[in-house]
Amino acid sequence: MLSPVLLGQVLVNGLSLSAIYVLIALGFTLLFGIMRVVNFAHGAFAMLGGYALFYLYGVFKLPYVLAVPLGAAIVAVASLVLEFLVFRWFYQKMLQSMIGLLGLNLAIEFSAVLVWDVYQRSIPPAFPGVIRLGGLILPADRLMVIGIALVVLAAFWLFMRRTRYGLAMRAAAQDVEIAQSQGIDTRFVYRLAFVIAIFMAALAGGLYAQIYSLSPFMGDRPLLVAFVVVILGGMGSIPGAALGGVILGFTESFLSTFYGASVSSFVSFGVVILLLIVRPWGLLGTPESLRP
Amino acid sequence: MQRRTFAKMLAATALAGGGMAPALAAEELKIGAIGPLSGGGTAWGLALQRGVQLAIDKANAVGGLKIGNTPRKLRLAMVDGQYSATGGRTAAERLINLEKVKYIIGPIGSPASLGAVSVTNAAKVLMLSDGFNPNILKNDANAAYNFRVMNTNHEFGPSMIKWFREHYPQVKKVALVGTNDATGQSVLPALAKVYAASGFETWIEMFDRGTQEFTPLMTRMMAQHVDALDLNSNSPGDAGLLLKQARQTGFKGKIWQIGGPSVEEIMQVGGPLAEGFLSLEIFNPGDPAFQKFIAIYHAKWSGVMNSQTPLWNNAAEMLFEALRRAGSPDVDKVRDAVEHLGGYDPGLYGPVVWGGMAEYGVNHQQLLPFWIAEVKNGKEVIVDTVTPEKG
Repeated sequence: MLSPVLLGQVLVNGLSLSAIYVLIALGFTLLFGIMRVVNFAHGAFAMLGGYALFYLYGVFKLPYVLAVPLGAAIVAVASLVLEFLVFRWFYQKMLQSMIGLLGLNLAIEFSAVLVWDVYQRSIPPAFPGVIRLGGLILPADRLMVIGIALVVLAAFWLFMRRTRYGLAMRAAAQDVEIAQSQGIDTRFVYRLAFVIAIFMAALAGGLYAQIYSLSPFMGDRPLLVAFVVVILGGMGSIPGAALGGVILGFTESFLSTFYGASVSSFVSFGVVILLLIVRPWGLLGTPESLRP
Repeated sequence: MQRRTFAKMLAATALAGGGMAPALAAEELKIGAIGPLSGGGTAWGLALQRGVQLAIDKANAVGGLKIGNTPRKLRLAMVDGQYSATGGRTAAERLINLEKVKYIIGPIGSPASLGAVSVTNAAKVLMLSDGFNPNILKNDANAAYNFRVMNTNHEFGPSMIKWFREHYPQVKKVALVGTNDATGQSVLPALAKVYAASGFETWIEMFDRGTQEFTPLMTRMMAQHVDALDLNSNSPGDAGLLLKQARQTGFKGKIWQIGGPSVEEIMQVGGPLAEGFLSLEIFNPGDPAFQKFIAIYHAKWSGVMNSQTPLWNNAAEMLFEALRRAGSPDVDKVRDAVEHLGGYDPGLYGPVVWGGMAEYGVNHQQLLPFWIAEVKNGKEVIVDTVTPEKG
């Protein structure tokens, strides 16, 4: 069964899976890193991003390069209402946020059922078809996701490292009180981090819905993936999310191809359990005891 | 004095209320239903809910269902079975213990049906279910109170595979991909045997329910050099994604489904990639009776009508006819009436035919005609009519 072409295909599949997983996990880890909020409503925002792209690109026929960021931006800005009503009460409350936001996730999901019904829809592909390279098959839309993931990662890294707001976010993440004493408006910083995190969840959700399918329940899997990736890489760590996504993507691609989907799930979750036992703070995370 | 007057008023009100109760309160009969209302099988759950609701609306429109001399207003009590054994059992317990229902339509799928049947037979509650697993009818209670109102792969599998052999003689090896649960574990080996009997080689692969990324699985499948992919009993969501990702990873063989069916949903998910997809179909959109049903459905709901909807409507009509014939809501009498429905035509699929003695040891398996549909130019087209082999 093993051949250079097959091995190449496994690597290509792994790369595209990694890109999807990294994109999904970024917003999730950002909220935890800055505000210590475990956003179990992450999947619902991804789903809303899917519907936003469905209308902007699929129904209103906006150019794709405009529809993707605009859809995510609309969801992010509209979600400020939920930030005011729900999220802000859970900042720095890890356990409470898990349960509260799981409830919010269900509320958004079933509101979506009332609005859009349960039927699965598809968002028209922006880049249909496959590119054949030797014996390798590269679905064009997957290549696009890899490109977007790289751009988003780079932009996000630059924002956090090279801008004053990024610096303020890092300061607030390290110690809220000291950040406030230095004149940082932490309420604004939190709100900004929230908007960026939801923007990224919705962006990932739009692309996810386009690659797979769109329905009110489509966010359940991204939520699970985000959680696993972030646990693997380290809660709150951006490089950790990237590393976790890459590890999960390549592991799933390799094991599913050679040993089957069930073995892949078993090993992936087994590794997460093992990691939680020996290194509970993840590969690139910070132990709770070292946090301020 | 004031207290005594108040007590008299209270007593008079109670007496008046009690006396008026039989005249004012409508006789109500609850019809229980279980189907997935969350997750990948939700389209089927809604199909059940809406199919049964339309039958209830029809009965209530003429003053209720007349059982004996008493017309009874019907009311649907629908519970989410979550397409799982736990969900099916919990839903059945809730309907029996809280809602006090005596008749249940559903659940859908083997796990939920197996979970529910362990409760309903013991509680002597009549159940008209789905589910491909043979043990739904072959159970400890000898299916005393449960019937299956949908063909399973045992009924349509052999006829469809024979049809496939005749129409696609170039296909040698078929991939069977399904969920790693009670459905997949019972359906895939059974189907593989039928394929083998018709001279096909098969390759079986299972995945966890909820999986959305099938690209590695498809790469694995293509390395096996299969000529066709059978989506068998996968839910509409899973089947659509499997088809979409098979085509995206370059699979050029025939894709078809001995199961489902959910052609409309697969076309929604797969878009143009669904072209040429073949499927079992359990309703014929070209038939005037079905067209009338579709019109009634769309007068109430918009969007895609899942093809299971008329089938569950048919099941509800059968139950209501059995209640009429029994002349009493007594479960044993209704069960006996259901057993003797053979020849009664509820209006969509022709006269009721019961079978299953050879396969399940009890004649509680309904045998329904079915069709083979193909997606041509973005539309579902019926290409053939097939009759199940009576067992």
